Amino acid sequence: MLSIILKLIVAAVLAGTPLLFGALGEILTEKSGNTNLGVEGMMYMGAVSGIAGAFFYGKAAGGAPVGVVAVLIALVVSFLIGALGALIYAFLTITLRANQNVTGLTLTIFGTGFGNFFGDFIAKNAGGSLVVTDGVKAMFKGIAIPGLSKIPVLGTLLFNYNWMVYFAVIVAVVMAWFFKRSRVGLNLRAVGEDPATADAAGINVTRYKYVATVVGGGICGIGGMYISMVSQNGVWVFDCVSGYGWLAVALVIFATWDCNRAILVALVFGALKIMRLYVALPIPSQFYDMAPYIVTIIVLVITSMRESREHAQPKSCGTNYFREER
Amino acid sequence: MKKKILASVLTVAMAATLLVGCQSAAESADSASSTADTESTEESTDADAESTDAAASEGLALEDLKVGFVYVGDESDQGYTYNFMMGTDEVQESLGLSDDQIIEKTNVGEDSSCETALRELAEAGCNIIFATSFGFEDYVMEVAPDYPDVQFCHATGYQSAASDLANTHNYFSSIYEARYLSGIIAGMKTQTNKLGFVAAMPYAEVISGYTAFYLGAKSVNPDVQMEVMYTNTWNDANLEAQLAQALIDDGCDVLGQHCDSAATATTAEAAGVWQIGYNTDMIDKAPNASITSARCDWGIYPEYAINCLLNGEEIAKDWSQGLVENAVMLTAYNDALMPEGAAEAVETAKAAIISGDLHVFDTSTFTVGGAELTTFTNDFGVEFVKDGYFHEQEADFGGSSPAFSSIIDGITVKE
Repeated sequence: MLSIILKLIVAAVLAGTPLLFGALGEILTEKSGNTNLGVEGMMYMGAVSGIAGAFFYGKAAGGAPVGVVAVLIALVVSFLIGALGALIYAFLTITLRANQNVTGLTLTIFGTGFGNFFGDFIAKNAGGSLVVTDGVKAMFKGIAIPGLSKIPVLGTLLFNYNWMVYFAVIVAVVMAWFFKRSRVGLNLRAVGEDPATADAAGINVTRYKYVATVVGGGICGIGGMYISMVSQNGVWVFDCVSGYGWLAVALVIFATWDCNRAILVALVFGALKIMRLYVALPIPSQFYDMAPYIVTIIVLVITSMRESREHAQPKSCGTNYFREER
Repeated sequence: MKKKILASVLTVAMAATLLVGCQSAAESADSASSTADTESTEESTDADAESTDAAASEGLALEDLKVGFVYVGDESDQGYTYNFMMGTDEVQESLGLSDDQIIEKTNVGEDSSCETALRELAEAGCNIIFATSFGFEDYVMEVAPDYPDVQFCHATGYQSAASDLANTHNYFSSIYEARYLSGIIAGMKTQTNKLGFVAAMPYAEVISGYTAFYLGAKSVNPDVQMEVMYTNTWNDANLEAQLAQALIDDGCDVLGQHCDSAATATTAEAAGVWQIGYNTDMIDKAPNASITSARCDWGIYPEYAINCLLNGEEIAKDWSQGLVENAVMLTAYNDALMPEGAAEAVETAKAAIISGDLHVFDTSTFTVGGAELTTFTNDFGVEFVKDGYFHEQEADFGGSSPAFSSIIDGITVKE
């Protein structure tokens, strides 16, 4: 019984990590007052570019790639391409003041096509499959942390994951500190709550919005890379992101725009996603699939009833800032 | 009240006119085909007087042939549709068709867009149209009466035999035979005596497949058990990966699959267990896990159907071929992973299936709920169990679509 629960939690962590990346990226974006619904699209862009980066580096290195270098390349490339997707969004909504929801949705469509097109294109040119070398695959497997991983129960539970899991947690903790304690973070929150006031206080609203949105997109891109490199084990699979971006958007609401809480919530969402595979309850499997969304709706209802300002979406989300309209 | 009566009278009248309208259209179509018959009989002196089909008396010239295909996806799925498209390429090559003689419609939904695609193909002058997804069948049956001169062939369907539309046909491959063979390898390979199966939907097509896989394993390893989980969707790579991991966590060390992506293979590779694929060779994606794949050759049926058209013969209502005709097969083995003696065991079983000595669903080899399966009827009342085995996908027993849908002992389905 204990071993089943342990396996369930481990699987939940693995399923929750891409959601955490996507949610963190979206939280950063929304803190600047931009609701970017293109998370799914940016994840696709990151997914394909990360694996492509590692793949082409492997080719260039002549079949003997250095694992760490491949990892860094995958990380940087997926971040940059995810950020590129967000840059399109930022330019359209911040500079051209296009509708945020519509722009985000189109970014999802664009990113999905981008990912699947390039994934297929590279795979075809590579002779059928886009696969990274075994050495690179090994870099994305779980690492048994020496000593600690030997502790019974706790070792399996905490010290046997791939590096991206720890990385996601670190990003979340750093972001939480950034929003609460750093000057720049507080400024960013001011921009998201009330850009006019922030502007009057001398904060460069446009720059803050751009940087937050673009970096947020980059983090989403890393989440996509997790799917192609960890979930799919370094093989490009058509349509691989399959809704994780949307779940990440729901997760942002569930986490009430709090990065620390997002860690826990990602674990819960991950668990809900895989629970039916481990725990057999006499209910139809469709209920499990619905669960994350039902929980999100409940959270939305509760938070709106409590009218808590602390745990709500940044006020200016959805509306573009136009100085002359103050 | 008067209004109501008037309304109902009008409705009845309208319905009646509709019916009459349909009838006369059908009659005119009939008379048209019968005139064609008389003409052709007059033209050729040795034509069979009993021939009922105009196409049956004179073949079609190869250069006049135009073939249409409707696919649910495109080649990027690297699985189901990709395999169909490979078959199309085979046909094109073997018959020497030019590119403009083949029209392929990809990414067609199982909705009214299928009807549009079928009509477009028929209007574009296709003589024969192949629809390759289960959900297309209703649209095929709807469109076919409007184009009596066009042959409609639908893969995985079941409605043609019971309908009176002469121009509709069903086809499928007896993939369960290849799955049985792949099961033999799995049964010899497993060390935990526990197989896992990543299944898409709880349909007969899937159940028949994994039961055959299990029976193959059981034929060489009587102690083997199998666990099955459903994704409830044809294509969700992440869910397939998680499901495969859950099976591995539960102690399964050889995974079979009936899904669209290669996620099962890559998960097996990462976990250090083995996998047997479906539709396409997955060895390049998971070289340390994929042993072989069960595959249908979708080039054989179109070639047969087109040849019928060219020679002026009738296309069978139901068509399903297997190992005998090489319509199903195992892809090249991953020699490093093949258990010792497996290749020979597969060859022996293959020969026995071809000769008819071995039946995959031999009712003496399995039990359902502790008892031998003695009777199984489908919705049309066809009895499948006869002469000691279940007649899966045979023309005289419910046609070409898979029917076996009992969960046999030894298989645990985890919902």
